[in-house]
Amino acid sequence: MKLAALSERFYSLVSPDIPNEWDVEEVMEPFIEESDKVCEVILGHIPVIWPVSHSLCYDFLRQAPEALTHLSLEQLPRWAGVILDIYENEGLHSAQRFMQDVVKNHISKLEGSGGLALTSVEKRLLPYIRGIAREELQVVSARETYTDTATIYVPEELRLFQDNDKNFLLYKLIFTYQWGYIACGSFLHTAPEGLPLFSDKEDCLWLREFLNSFAHPPLARDIYHLLESIRVKFFLHKELPGLMRAVSKLLFPLHSPVATEGTAGVFLSRIQQGLTGDETTLHSLLRLHLTPSECQRYLDGKATAQDSARLVPKLYSTLEETDHDYIPVPPLPFQGHLKLKAVETARKVRKEKMGEHFVDLMATYLLSLSPEKLENILKDEERDSGNTGLAESDISMIMDSEFAQTAAQEKAAPLLVTINNEALELPPELDTFTRKFLDEFGQLPARFITSAAGKAGEGMLQGDIGGQEEDARQITGTVIYDEWDYRRQGYRKNWCSLQCKELPPVHSPFIRNTLDKYHGLTLRLRHQFEMMRSQERFVKRQREGDDIDFDALVESLSDTRAGLPSSDRLFIRLKRDERDIAVLFLVDMSNSTAGWVNIALKESLVLMTEAMEVLGDRYAIYGFSGMRRSRCELFHVKHLTEPYGEQVKERISSISPSEYTRMGPPIRHATRLLQEVDAKVRLIITLTDGKPEDYDDYKGDYAIEDTRHALLEAKVAGIHPFCITIDHQAHEYMEHMYGPANYIFVDNVRKLPLRMPEIYRALTS
Amino acid sequence: MKTIEQRLDEHLITVEPYYLASGNEVEIALSAHKNKLPLLLKGPTGCGKTRFMQYLAWKLRRPLITVSCHDDLSTSDLVGRYLIRSGEAVWIDGPLTLAVRAGAICYLDEIVEARKDTTVVIHPLADDRRELPVEKLGELLTAPPEFMISVSYNPGYQSVLKDLKPSTRQRFVAISFDYPHPDQEAMIVCKEGGVEKELADSLVKLAGMTRSLKESGLAEGASTRLLIQAGKLIQDGIDIQTACRVAVIEPLSDDPELLAALQEMVSSIF
Ligand SMILES: Nc1ncnc2c1ncn2[C@@H]1O[C@H](COP(=O)(O)OP(=O)(O)OP(=O)(O)O)[C@@H](O)[C@H]1O
Ligand SMILES: [Mg+2]
Repeated sequence: MKLAALSERFYSLVSPDIPNEWDVEEVMEPFIEESDKVCEVILGHIPVIWPVSHSLCYDFLRQAPEALTHLSLEQLPRWAGVILDIYENEGLHSAQRFMQDVVKNHISKLEGSGGLALTSVEKRLLPYIRGIAREELQVVSARETYTDTATIYVPEELRLFQDNDKNFLLYKLIFTYQWGYIACGSFLHTAPEGLPLFSDKEDCLWLREFLNSFAHPPLARDIYHLLESIRVKFFLHKELPGLMRAVSKLLFPLHSPVATEGTAGVFLSRIQQGLTGDETTLHSLLRLHLTPSECQRYLDGKATAQDSARLVPKLYSTLEETDHDYIPVPPLPFQGHLKLKAVETARKVRKEKMGEHFVDLMATYLLSLSPEKLENILKDEERDSGNTGLAESDISMIMDSEFAQTAAQEKAAPLLVTINNEALELPPELDTFTRKFLDEFGQLPARFITSAAGKAGEGMLQGDIGGQEEDARQITGTVIYDEWDYRRQGYRKNWCSLQCKELPPVHSPFIRNTLDKYHGLTLRLRHQFEMMRSQERFVKRQREGDDIDFDALVESLSDTRAGLPSSDRLFIRLKRDERDIAVLFLVDMSNSTAGWVNIALKESLVLMTEAMEVLGDRYAIYGFSGMRRSRCELFHVKHLTEPYGEQVKERISSISPSEYTRMGPPIRHATRLLQEVDAKVRLIITLTDGKPEDYDDYKGDYAIEDTRHALLEAKVAGIHPFCITIDHQAHEYMEHMYGPANYIFVDNVRKLPLRMPEIYRALTS
Repeated sequence: MKTIEQRLDEHLITVEPYYLASGNEVEIALSAHKNKLPLLLKGPTGCGKTRFMQYLAWKLRRPLITVSCHDDLSTSDLVGRYLIRSGEAVWIDGPLTLAVRAGAICYLDEIVEARKDTTVVIHPLADDRRELPVEKLGELLTAPPEFMISVSYNPGYQSVLKDLKPSTRQRFVAISFDYPHPDQEAMIVCKEGGVEKELADSLVKLAGMTRSLKESGLAEGASTRLLIQAGKLIQDGIDIQTACRVAVIEPLSDDPELLAALQEMVSSIF
């Protein structure tokens, strides 16, 4: 292909973005030599990668031709999938590194049989480790094993053993061991007694600074890591003896060959071997450099992370060699690496998250105070300073408990926060949460209190305008949803933003005209739907019941008198045949519905609502449209609990063609709304005309697959999705997208108002 | 036919039930009884609510009449109804009426499962009127001071909608139950399941792990009751792994992946 043609192709694929011409030509240039087929396959990935990251997309294009010297065209999509995963989990840099070494990173993984993939054990081991850890740990595949305390990173695949049962056990051990470091408190963030403090910067991990303070940080790090690994070993022996018993039967071919050079290398690699062996070996090794009592603490499982930290300088000085550099001993698979920077970052993230939660709680609490008190807190803020925040000096957090004598008293004493000399005693929930925060992070940064005050201030203003809290359960505003990308077989995270809007009511004779037009039909529908209505009826002559059936009783008494056998069916029982159904109608408001379709849709809705009112099923109506993933729109016509009145009628009249049809987000939102509803049967009924499509890359297979996936999600949530689609003819994709028996297509739009109630009746009886 | 006294005797608890208090719940309940206040117990399944009521009834020396609520439970099931006995219509008191007449303790288990129109009959009983209208007899019973009504529910199960009405809820002294502290729970498992302390500790550890799997799709973890049952099987010679599987793991879920994960926990612990 010519460069101009290639560039043009590129622009069309990333439209409406218009990237810099030089960049495009630079990456497209090498493709001039490639065959059309190769170009097509590689460029075909642009729509997937470009929206995720432009740089990643350029890099991909730079590397792909080279990669194809090792990969077959069929393998390329998988390669791209891995790249995207790495990018999302570890960032651009890691993804670039991965791409550069196709052979090492990918081919070896694709080749050969055997090996156990993380994806095949994750479903089992993720709940396992969360149960063991009793917290929501994440698991992510990575090239190196480590944990940042929030996530455990493990290899994408294990092929250490021939036998995959053993590989499974190794995975289990890796997960558990990594959790072990967290549970044993290996990641010290404050200095143990007797060791130097470093910077007192808020978020620095003390351990990191400590280990970096040695002349050869890797040696210090490995010493500490090994000591901690010993601790974890004994901890696991006590905590999870079953696992450790099973593991001891594994003949670990895990060891890297024992280092032969350098005292440090030899000693550390032998200790490492001891980790997979029995206690006596470890003991004799430790005895080489530790005192008997120090040794014993480790073997008894009494040692702490502080002990390990204190031992580092001692071991370091005996092991350090001046004549040659320490060559790090590669860790055992389950030990993984000590990545303290990652721990530091994860801790920061956690702190911010908890901080946000604190701000929410605190703001809510402030808003619950008497207006005078709140005014006082916030007024000072304005007077004091031109800027918005409180001066830090205005805030202090006093633990009342400082005056407490005993630990018990300290627990019982409430926490006090003082803002602008206004002392506030924290309510229980906030108190508990604050203590948790203090436990973990030592102190509560004043900025959290400042932002809580700010937020409360905003809240107060809104309250003045008079936002009444009508239905707290209604999700309004903007909601973010993931979108299914079938090419990756994974979600694009937080991809679509759905705005919930009101349809402006319009006065129009539409409803009345419709009712007139279908007068006969409405009457018939009413009658039909009345028959379906839930019934309460008395059933007579029951063996047991709420009341005596006097007719039966009299009969039975007379029978007895007459010497006949008498019946024991003498009761009346109230029987309920309840219809416990909630339906949500989702109406396509895309541009293509302009004209007859729109009118038919609305007419159908009018007839449906009439029928629904007779029937008594709960129902909601929403319209949807929008343009691009950044602005999907959902229009409220009728909430589930809202009565059918003028307003609803006016909003039905106001349903009109708007923009595009991105079906995933509205379906996901409908699912979410219905999930909160308690009903025996929950239905989403979608009314559309044709394929889902949006202005951006939401078209074709992509759109069909995302819609299909959104419908599957609804099913998983116990909701029945059903689609009514208006089209001239049935298409193949329909059955695939909706699932057989989950849709119906109506070819003559004028018939829709007739068909729809019929369909509903068939569906729910 | 049994007399009222006979019917009540069956409900009197004469042997002290084993109950290990985890806080001041016993004092609170005794004080509620003294002050003629109704009791609401909330908490997950199998955490000792029923046992607590038995203990309380024993302590107060009152009969304990328990009704398990379900959505077919009608007002007559609680208050009473006519039955035909040898050709005659005879009125039979329901459990609630019986309890009121005898000054017993009436315990409505899983109250939210009952229909709302059923639960309203307890309203006048649960406030300071302490009255029970028996419409079919044309009687209005007033509860004697010893009478107590107590209800339980499990906030974990219910959807947002299937909640107690505030007008029902706000009549009660509410005591929140949770699984006991691990040490205490192990003691209970020792005692009730008849197993060694060490094994009890491990069972409790297992339960703790299953209780933190909400996000993974396990709404409620293993209860104390399940641990006791596992303990009993083990005592009887069933091997530990099997006992844990059938008595702790399998009852929790039907999801194969989750079951496999739970099984991994068992094989790690024991
Ligand atoms: N604090 C406790 N003291 C003694 N035994 C207890 C205690 N807690 C639980 N148990 C034991 O657990 C078993 C289950 O408790 P119980 O039947 O009281 O649960 P529950 O809370 O009523 O559950 P559900 O809500 O399912 O009815 C009891 O039989 C008892 O053996
Ligand atoms: Mg019970």
